[in-house]
Amino acid sequence: MMAKSRKELSEGTLNIISSIISILGGLLIGFLILILLEITKSESTISTPFTVMRNFLTYPLQDSGKFIKVFYNAAPLILCGLAVGFAFKAGLFNIGATGQYTLGAFFALVAAILWQFPWWAAMLVGMVVGAFWGFIPGFFKAVFNINEVITTIMLNWAALNLANLLLYNMPKLRIIPPYNRVDKLIARNPSALLPDLGLKELLGTDFFNIGIIIAIVLAVVMFIVLNKTTFGYEVKACGFNKNASTYAGIKAKRTIIMTMVISGALAGIAGGVSFLAGTIQFNIESNLLAMGFNGIPVALLANSHPLGIIASGLFIGYMQVGGQAFEGVYSSEMTNVILSVIIYFSAFALIVSQVIKNIQKKNRLKRGESDEDGSESVSVPETDDSESEDSPEGANAKTMEVSK
Amino acid sequence: MDVVAIIISKTILFSIPLMLGALAGMFSERSGVINIALEGIMIFGSLFAAIFITKAMVDTPLAENHPQFVVFLTAIIAGLAGLIFSLLLAYAAIRLKANQVITGTALNIFAPSFAILVAYAVITLGVSDIPIPNLIKFSASDFGLDPTQIPNWVNTLLFKNLYLTTFIAFFAVAIAFVVLYKTKFGLRLRACGEHPQAADSVGIKVLRMRYIGVAISGFLAGIAGFSYSMANGGVHQADVQGFGFLALAVMIFGNWKPLKILFAALFFSFFKTIAVVGSTLPGFPDFGLQHVEYLYRVLPYIITLVVLAFTSKSSRAPKAEGIPYDPGTR
Repeated sequence: MMAKSRKELSEGTLNIISSIISILGGLLIGFLILILLEITKSESTISTPFTVMRNFLTYPLQDSGKFIKVFYNAAPLILCGLAVGFAFKAGLFNIGATGQYTLGAFFALVAAILWQFPWWAAMLVGMVVGAFWGFIPGFFKAVFNINEVITTIMLNWAALNLANLLLYNMPKLRIIPPYNRVDKLIARNPSALLPDLGLKELLGTDFFNIGIIIAIVLAVVMFIVLNKTTFGYEVKACGFNKNASTYAGIKAKRTIIMTMVISGALAGIAGGVSFLAGTIQFNIESNLLAMGFNGIPVALLANSHPLGIIASGLFIGYMQVGGQAFEGVYSSEMTNVILSVIIYFSAFALIVSQVIKNIQKKNRLKRGESDEDGSESVSVPETDDSESEDSPEGANAKTMEVSK
Repeated sequence: MDVVAIIISKTILFSIPLMLGALAGMFSERSGVINIALEGIMIFGSLFAAIFITKAMVDTPLAENHPQFVVFLTAIIAGLAGLIFSLLLAYAAIRLKANQVITGTALNIFAPSFAILVAYAVITLGVSDIPIPNLIKFSASDFGLDPTQIPNWVNTLLFKNLYLTTFIAFFAVAIAFVVLYKTKFGLRLRACGEHPQAADSVGIKVLRMRYIGVAISGFLAGIAGFSYSMANGGVHQADVQGFGFLALAVMIFGNWKPLKILFAALFFSFFKTIAVVGSTLPGFPDFGLQHVEYLYRVLPYIITLVVLAFTSKSSRAPKAEGIPYDPGTR
């Protein structure tokens, strides 16, 4: 089949359709859980779930402050999503984004407060530290062939405790009462605050800064790197088949290390964007920070596509702001329940698109067009990369299986 | 002597959820399904165990007369809750051939939030912790011994942190070893994780074996969640503090083998105990640092990494894990 037949849905359209189906499914199941929770209450009013659900969906649109908070939430989410997604592209599961994020954030603050760096330099420090924390699992994977899942889990907890230890032993970071957290940036070094382009006062909210612009720019850069450069091609080749790519002359070890370094750097920048906004203060934590983990659903929802990650980051940011509508009645945890169901359904996305494809094929056969696809069982390609779209559909069903 | 007794007893206490969790992961991965959802399944098991024992069992005659039987029942409930929850992973990963990491991540996000919602509904809004009653602990008198008659350190060593789940865990290691290496079922399970096409060609029902593998995994992980509540000081907190992921690490560290998992869990748990207990003991250097306990808490992870670097050559994951089985590829 040289050209795609008329009116056939492209791979990208299919992905978007299945994402929408997943989202609707998640909202529906979340709604059912709300109804169940309402029934278990001693005095239940059946209208409550309806009101709360409508409130959840429209909450961020209620005023400009809440709407801006969507972007404020989305910026680190997108960056963490890029960190996780980039590693996914090389077939690596960077579950350690939270450790890289934590140390990146901490050292960005150290640079900002102790060394009085401006915001961009402080963020670069965070990036370098995050990159180093990503380098370690990459090195262990490449040299010792140790599963990156185990190393990044270990390094998450190491990072958290290291940050706590350093925070306790750097009293100059906290000279303003109550002395138990890093001081507010505005008091110690206002030049380290992320620029707001003069819009903070205009919009009347502390939550506006250029973080979202940084995130979008980096997403576009990652899109270009992945699709237009040799390095990006090597990363994806390693993700498809490490052995085959080595055979083809790609230095798989170097690629793995570089991928993890970049992934860690992105998570480190995310830490900088979160904490250089000046809205939250770094504190002693006993549990891993959730932000790094939230990068995983962001990447998964977008199937690791850099531009898709912008959309999914904004979507999850929107849901997080909307989640405040659950507070008091149920719990803002409801957001995560809905999110998890969406991700669960999105795991079926490939199945859904496969079903649609089969229906299209049947229709084509009915119309009497010849079927040149060869075998009936087309194996499902892992991702929606450009190569898999480019590959001619006939004749190479077998090679696509190999690419797994 | 007391210090050594405390360290040993705590080491075993912390190792139990890790051991059960790692065994859980092993059964699933040996059948060919990556179970990254251990964390979520443990939380699920812990939640239903806590609700069952506090809502249905406390103050009943059964709990007064046969407390350990009640603990046993609770462990079964925890296991069944975990099993049912893990079927969500099994259905998606095996039947629908969905990406196992994505599905597992979904379950991991679902469980802690769901646990908080349920605790709010069952206990009261704003309270997510469910304390587990004291009846679950063994004491010297349960074994016909008089606590005042035996030396203090023996009492600490044997009975300070002794729960029924301790026995269950060691028993589970033994059973897992026998099942995996000495039975037909174990051989078939391993075949499905190594080379499902070959297994299928000799008449093994690969999909069914994988369902069973994940179900066993869910059952054990549920009990692991219950045992975590005990290691956590007898309270369910809608969270297992990353023990599910650590169990995954212990499984890899233990090379997907029951006996090695036993030692890996004890090894890791020993350094974790040192990290928690060590800084409070005299004689441990503080290097002139404030809150040196955080330095000690970094150590178990770094030591594990170093050991892994040295032992990595022999490490081998089941070959077909993570790949949905498609009979068409035979």
